[in-house]
Amino acid sequence: MLFNSIEYVIFLPIVVMLFYLLPHSFRWMMLLVASCTFYMWFVPKYILILLITIIVDYSAGILMEKHADNHKIKKRYLVISIVSTCLVLFIFKYLGFVNDNLILLCKSLNIKYNTVIHLILPIGLSFHTFQSMSYVIEVYRGNQKAERNFGIYSLYVMFFPQLVTGPIERPGNLLRQLREEKKFEYDNISKGFRLIIFGLFIKMVVADNVGEYVDMIYAEPSKYSSWDIILGMFFYSFQIYGDFFGYSTIALGSAKLMGFDITDNFNTPYLSKSIAEFWHRWHISLSTWFRDYVYFPLGGSRVKFGRWAFNIMVVFVLSGIWHGAAWNFLIWGAAHGLLHIIEKAILNHLPKRENKGKLERFVVDAFKIAKTFILVTLFWSMFRATSFANISDLFTSLVNNFGVTEHLHIDSSIWIYLGLFILLDVLLFNTRFDKWCDNRPAVVRWAIYFVLIFMIIACSSVNNFPFIYFQF
Amino acid sequence: MKKLIYKFALLAALLVLMNWIYGKFFYKADLLKHSDEVQLSWKVAEDSCVIVYTGESSNHTYSWNDKDQRKISDFIFDHFPDVKCGDMTKNASHGEVYYYLLKSIPEDSPVKTVIVTMNLRSFGYGWIESDLETPIQKQLVLLKDAPPLFNRFRLAFKDYEIVTNEERGERRMAHRHDDPLVFPYEFPYHTNYEWDYATNEKGILNEDGTRNKELSFLAITYIQNFGFQIHDDNPRLKDFDNIVELAHQRHWNLIFNLLAENVEQARELVGDDIVFLMRQNRDYLVNRYGNLENVTIVDNLEAVPDIYFRDRDWTTEHYTEQGRHIIADNVAKALQP
Repeated sequence: MLFNSIEYVIFLPIVVMLFYLLPHSFRWMMLLVASCTFYMWFVPKYILILLITIIVDYSAGILMEKHADNHKIKKRYLVISIVSTCLVLFIFKYLGFVNDNLILLCKSLNIKYNTVIHLILPIGLSFHTFQSMSYVIEVYRGNQKAERNFGIYSLYVMFFPQLVTGPIERPGNLLRQLREEKKFEYDNISKGFRLIIFGLFIKMVVADNVGEYVDMIYAEPSKYSSWDIILGMFFYSFQIYGDFFGYSTIALGSAKLMGFDITDNFNTPYLSKSIAEFWHRWHISLSTWFRDYVYFPLGGSRVKFGRWAFNIMVVFVLSGIWHGAAWNFLIWGAAHGLLHIIEKAILNHLPKRENKGKLERFVVDAFKIAKTFILVTLFWSMFRATSFANISDLFTSLVNNFGVTEHLHIDSSIWIYLGLFILLDVLLFNTRFDKWCDNRPAVVRWAIYFVLIFMIIACSSVNNFPFIYFQF
Repeated sequence: MKKLIYKFALLAALLVLMNWIYGKFFYKADLLKHSDEVQLSWKVAEDSCVIVYTGESSNHTYSWNDKDQRKISDFIFDHFPDVKCGDMTKNASHGEVYYYLLKSIPEDSPVKTVIVTMNLRSFGYGWIESDLETPIQKQLVLLKDAPPLFNRFRLAFKDYEIVTNEERGERRMAHRHDDPLVFPYEFPYHTNYEWDYATNEKGILNEDGTRNKELSFLAITYIQNFGFQIHDDNPRLKDFDNIVELAHQRHWNLIFNLLAENVEQARELVGDDIVFLMRQNRDYLVNRYGNLENVTIVDNLEAVPDIYFRDRDWTTEHYTEQGRHIIADNVAKALQP
C-alpha cells in the first residue's frame, strides 16, 4: 500500500481508531495484522521472506540471551543470524548483479556461461533486514533484552509506518514503545496530522511534479540544452529529497497518530556545509546504522588518518551498494567517501581562524553550502542514471549543448512549489514541521494547513510516481 | 475528544471553501489538462447542436483513396441539412467514455437526439482489459459525479484502476481460459483459449499446403475478439445502461449504432461458429435495448460487405467511403420522423 494512495487514506484512520478503541493487550495484535495487510497489499508472497528473517533473528536473540555467559556460543548465534539475514538480502538483491558480472567476465575469458538470474526484489528488503540485524547486534552487545513475544518482535520488524522505506529503527526505541501503553492524546493526533500533510505535500506536489521534468531530461539528455540538463540535475536533487523526506515524514506522522515516536530521517540536508555534515542530515537512520555497526567496530576516527580513510571508504562503499546492486551506486558511494576524506584532509591543513566577522562568516557558510549542494547534485546524477551510457550521455550533453536553443518549457507553478518547499525547509533548519507549527498562532497554523491541503489535492502530479526508495 | 471534533468540523468547513475555490478557479484548467476530451462536449453545447454523434476510430476514414474523406457522422448529418449537428469522436472510446462525454453536455443545451456507437468488440475482454484502459480510466476521474475537489482528490490519490499491461494480459488470458462457450449444438471447444489454440495449431493453409501466416494470425484474432458471449454481468452493459438512463433523464432520443463487422471474412477464416456468436451477441443487445422507450438500435452488424472494410490484417471497424455511407444511411433512416 502506498502512502499517497486512496487505500492508505482509508486504511490509516481505521487502524488509528481501532488502536485507541482496543485495550492495550490487543493493540499489538491489531497492529501486526494491519502491518501484514499493508505489506501484502504489494505482493502477498513476499511476506514469507520477511517471515524467514523474523524467525531466524527472533530465535537468535533468545539463544544469545540464553548463552549470555558463553561468549563463543553467543557469537556463533550472532554470526548465524547475520549471515542468514545477509544471505536473504544477497540472494534477492545482489545475486542477479553478481551473476551479470560473472557472465561478462566469462565472456571476456571466452568461457561459456550465460545463465541469467532474475529475481524480483521484495519491497523494502534492505530496510527491514537492517532493522532486524540491529536487533540481534544489540542483544549480542547486551544493550537489549531478547524479545520473548514472537508477535511483538514481528511487529518491531513489520511496523507498517516504517516497514518499506524506513526510518530504520533500533530496538531500544521502537521495541520499547511497542510494549508501552499509549493513551489517546490530542497532541499526538494534531502532530501526526501535521506531519502527514507536510509529507504528502513534499512528495505529491514537489517531488512528483519536478519528477516529470527529470524523467524527460534523463530519458534523452542529448535533446536538451546544457541549461536544461543543469535544471534537470537540480530538479532531481529536490525530487529525491522530496520523495524520501516526504515518505519519512508521512511515516513519522502515521506513527505519531498512535503515540509512537520514530526516528527523524532528515534534517535540512541541503544546508550542509560539508559532505560529512550532509551525511549527518540525510537518511540519518541509515547513516547512524553504518556508524554504529560498521564504522565504530572498524575503529571509527580514533585511528591514524590512513586507517580512518579506509574505514570511511568501507562505510561509503557499503552504503552505495546498500542502495542498489549496480556499479553506479557503488561509485556514487565511493565518490561520497572520497570527497569526505578530501574535505577532512584539506581541513586538517587549513589554519583555523577565529573572530570572523558576521558578513564574512555568512559568505563563507553560503559558499560551503553551495559547494556541498553542487557536489551532491552532481553525484545524484549517478544515482538517477539508468546506465553508464546514460551518465555519459548526460555529461556529454551538459558540456556540449550550450548552443542548443530549444529549451524545456517549465510550468511556472513548479517554481512556486519549489520555492515554497525551499522556504519551509530553511525555516525547518534543526527542527521539525510539527514542532515548528507549535510556535505559530492558530490562525497561521490553519492557514498553512489550508494551503498545504489545497495544494496536495489540487496541485499534485496526476502521474504515478512510486517512491524512489522502494527499489531499495 | 471534544477538541478533536471541533477541529474536524473546522477542517470540513475549510474543505467546502476549498471546493468552491477549486471549482471556480482551477477545475476548468484541470479538465483541459487531464480530461481534454471534455472539450468535445463543450463544443457540442457551444454550437447548439440538436443531433450529436459519439464515436471512436470507426467514424473516421483511414482509406486514403476515398473521394469523400468525411466521417460517418458527416454522412448522417447530410440527411438533415437544416439541423445543427455535431460529433464527439475520440479514438479507442467505449460506452463508459461516451457516457461521461454525454453527461458533460450542459443540461440546458438543445440536444434532442444522440447517436451512440455500439461496437460489438468492445463487449469482449480483449477490449475491456485493453492496455489503453488505465489511461482512459485516469482521464475519466475528473468527469465523475462528485464535487470537483473530491474528483481532484481521487485523481491525486490515484483512485482509479491502475493495472499494468502485464496484469491486463493476465486478466484477458484468464477470461479466455475460464469463460465457458456454450453452443446449442455440438462444438469441440469449451473456451475461447481451446478454440484459439486448436485453430492456431491447424493454421490456414496456402494452396501448396504451406501455412499462411497472415491469415492464420487473422483467424485467431477473430476468435480472440469475437469468440465470447455477452451475459448480464458483462461490465460494458452497465455503461450502455447508464447512457439509456441519462437519455431518459435528459429526454433525448437515443440511437445505438451497432457497428458492422467483417462477418464475411470471419466466416471464411474461422467458420460459421464465430458468426453464430457474433449474431447471438447482436441479438442479445438488440433484445436488451431495442424495446426500450425512445431507444432505437440500428443493426449494422452484417450491413457492410467484406470489400468495404479497409483493414485486411486486423478485425477493425474501419470502412471505406461506401462502407461508411451504408452505415450512415441506415442510421439516418432510423432518425427519420
